Amino acid sequence: MSNVVLEKVSRTFGEFAAVSGVDLRVNEGEFVTLLGPSGCGKTTTLRMVAGLEQNTGGRISIGGRVVSDAARDLFVPAEHRALGMVFQSYAIWPHMSVFDNVAYPLRVRRVGRSDMRRRVLEALQLVEMADYADRPAPALSGGQQQRVAIARALVFEPALLLLDEPLSNLDARLRAQMGSEFRALQKRLGITSLYVTHDQEEAMALSDRVVVMQAGRVLQIGAPEDIYQRPASRDVANFFGSPNLLPATVVSCARLSDADFALSVRGSAWEGTCHAGEARAVGAEVLVLVRPESMRLAEGTAPATGALSGRVVQSSFHGARRAVTVEVHGSLMHAEVPATASLSEQVTFTIDEKAAWALSA
Amino acid sequence: MTVSADDSLHDSGRPAPTARLFAALRLLRATAAGRIVGLALLVAVLALLSVYPLSMLLYGSLHSTPPGMAGTFNLDGYRDILTRENSITLVNTVGISLAKTVPSLALAVLLAWILARTDTPCRGALEVLVTLPFFIPPILTAMAWGMLGNPQVGLLNQLYQAITGSSAAPINVYSYGGVVWHMMQYSVPFLFLLIVDAFRAMDPSLEEAARMCGASRLRTFRTITLQLMLPALTGGAILSFIRGIENFESPLFFGAPAGIHVITTDIYDSINQRSPPQYQYATAVSFVIMALLFLIVLVQWRLLRGRSFATVSGKGYSPGIVRLGPWRWVTFAVCMLFFIVTVVLPVGQLLIGSFFKFFGFYQWDMLTFEHYEAVFGSSEFWRGFGNTMLLGLIGASATMVLGGLVAYISVRTKWRGRSLIDAMAWLPWMMPGIVLGVGFLWGFALLPRAIPIYGTIWALLLAYISLGTPLSVRVMSSAYAQLSFDIEECSRVHGASWLTTMWRIVIALSWPSFVVGWVLVFFGIMRELSASVLLYSIGSEVLSVVLLKLWVNGNAEQVSVIGLMMMVMVILFRWVQLGFTRRHLGTL
Repeated sequence: MSNVVLEKVSRTFGEFAAVSGVDLRVNEGEFVTLLGPSGCGKTTTLRMVAGLEQNTGGRISIGGRVVSDAARDLFVPAEHRALGMVFQSYAIWPHMSVFDNVAYPLRVRRVGRSDMRRRVLEALQLVEMADYADRPAPALSGGQQQRVAIARALVFEPALLLLDEPLSNLDARLRAQMGSEFRALQKRLGITSLYVTHDQEEAMALSDRVVVMQAGRVLQIGAPEDIYQRPASRDVANFFGSPNLLPATVVSCARLSDADFALSVRGSAWEGTCHAGEARAVGAEVLVLVRPESMRLAEGTAPATGALSGRVVQSSFHGARRAVTVEVHGSLMHAEVPATASLSEQVTFTIDEKAAWALSA
Repeated sequence: MTVSADDSLHDSGRPAPTARLFAALRLLRATAAGRIVGLALLVAVLALLSVYPLSMLLYGSLHSTPPGMAGTFNLDGYRDILTRENSITLVNTVGISLAKTVPSLALAVLLAWILARTDTPCRGALEVLVTLPFFIPPILTAMAWGMLGNPQVGLLNQLYQAITGSSAAPINVYSYGGVVWHMMQYSVPFLFLLIVDAFRAMDPSLEEAARMCGASRLRTFRTITLQLMLPALTGGAILSFIRGIENFESPLFFGAPAGIHVITTDIYDSINQRSPPQYQYATAVSFVIMALLFLIVLVQWRLLRGRSFATVSGKGYSPGIVRLGPWRWVTFAVCMLFFIVTVVLPVGQLLIGSFFKFFGFYQWDMLTFEHYEAVFGSSEFWRGFGNTMLLGLIGASATMVLGGLVAYISVRTKWRGRSLIDAMAWLPWMMPGIVLGVGFLWGFALLPRAIPIYGTIWALLLAYISLGTPLSVRVMSSAYAQLSFDIEECSRVHGASWLTTMWRIVIALSWPSFVVGWVLVFFGIMRELSASVLLYSIGSEVLSVVLLKLWVNGNAEQVSVIGLMMMVMVILFRWVQLGFTRRHLGTL
């Protein structure tokens, strides 16, 4: 019912294309996150789904009904789309009580008094705010406002929930807690959700699928694991953490399944095996993606084949792990090692080849 | 806020007088005793400007004879207030102010919404045009409307008669309607300036959230936008109401000829129009109006306590702009119509009036330059012009320096006595110009003969500084409040002395606000009539007084010429101010 379909959706402001040619399908009950740096068009995309912004190209349909089609000049405004939305600033109305805030959508829909009271309290119970119903809205903390905003968005049982960076104004500890609470609620209600964030960890922790956007375009759509371990491009790989990209030449290529190929490669500093999503010709140039946590500190000093040796340039302690920057043949590489490991000035690393991934150079 | 580097950083080779001044200031600053002397000096100046005239009012209201004459103390002044006519005067005062505040507020909300929240074309230019009437001295538009809306020979009535062929004169500005109408030309832009930023700064997601909940645009405006604006609207309406009660020009020009009296004109009449002048009565009435204002301020304080909503989120969003389609030309026309009626019509009348031999008789053979010759050949005009300029320059500078000092002490120090200083500087705000004029009248008369200030332009200067100080303190306070303490402390930590910090950091960053405040105070002095008309004497007339005298003598043609000159000055100053503000403060 609540499939959201975006077909070639674009939005231009004069000469500037904020969003260009976005294709996306969100399945029923799915939690999809639009992820990207600020200015990548993710919020504009969400606002076009909401009906707060009109798309200048393409078509948007929600639940099988076309709500916006630039070609036919069709546009259903926000108030007639019946979607729930949680704003970055929460947009809790300060001149109303918590109850009145949540009751507003029902008042607009002329729901009867007793029915309204029951539904508002139910919605507040969902977010554990029923005790605060009579509080004036300005007396709430950030986290509480967030909960009220969610209750208000859910109270009229919309088919789709839109969330625009809802956690970015909270402090780190509360952000993690609210995130997992919201995900649990979303799963329990089975409500289709479209979520916008610039925080890659948040996106990976919460979503069924992640849409990585840059400069108004979709770079990759996939499950968080795929996006992280098998990125489609260098830009997507760079978006998460500080990856190592080793230039290498393909020596051989073997097909394991439709989308999994085993390559053996040789680079200037390192040779070994890695995986790829498509067949690569022998002799082709690739970049091998190695995440810092796939770098293994080697025991002993004898450099085996497939090992990298270098000098420790910088080392910082992060509790469970230690982040190390190593200079190998003039280029810097990042590694994460157990905090208990003893480091000498010269270190040798091996690479977890199961996690190494080839990208087009 | 941007400040060019060369203004704040010319350090090498500081001139000697500045160095000496710095040394003297350093001495003051260095010791606790020095600071106390400095503070005492400031308190003395403020006391002279506010507490002295206020206490003289009290003295005068109890004193049976005019200032400077031997008399007895009694309560006759207060007893005379309790008459039937005076209760009508009180009802008039409050009623007229209410009658102009309510429609002004509605119109100001409409204009603010159009200019802040819609895609009406040329909004930037329209905003300048719509706020222009606020800066025109009311005496000018009063005289222009006196000519436009005169029931016998007014241009509007002549036009009506020429078009319809009837002999009826539908417009008469000498009426309740005329008084309200003239006040509205000021209160609409005044309210607009007060509320437009609240419209502009509102977090758009507050409204978008309502629309996501299914509310239509109209419902959103009614239940969200307007409700959130309510504190700002109430605050603005109360201020506008207070200004309506203090207003002098509108009831003087349009009320008095029709027998409509309000408190301010009553004070004026009892001193200037009655023989012998009723000083004791005028002073007693002054206390009534101050009590009324005090009551309103109390109400305002109670109403607005804790009712200000922080609707501005951290994110630098532009507010939601409503696309009006073809309707945007209608809203454009509404703004232009307001500008035409409040500025173009009066200025046009002055222009026409200045070129015809007699006001009201507009035929080709009546065209003449003789009024220009008469005005430019009149020593009275040049004296008034010179006095206004001199008082404007000195008065605005002195007021801003005083306001800057008071604001600095009350905002940025923890010195004891700072709230006393702040309160003393705020006191004149409770006194309409005419009341302050009466207070100074008594005050100057009771000074020892060795200080012959009464009848000189310095008497006017003191009154102007006193009237302008609350404004200057407010402007400078908000400028200082924007500077974070870190900036000042950072400079101290890096080894700069307190004085260097003041000079290089605080003044360097707040001088644009100083300039903006200076222009506002200058405008205030140029338009001031009610205190001036009580405190001037032969030789110390200012332009507004010269205008009033010419008007009373029936010389509407020369009034037009002088009015036109002043209008040109206003527009010039406003233009310079706008350009300056845009460059240095980034906003209007």
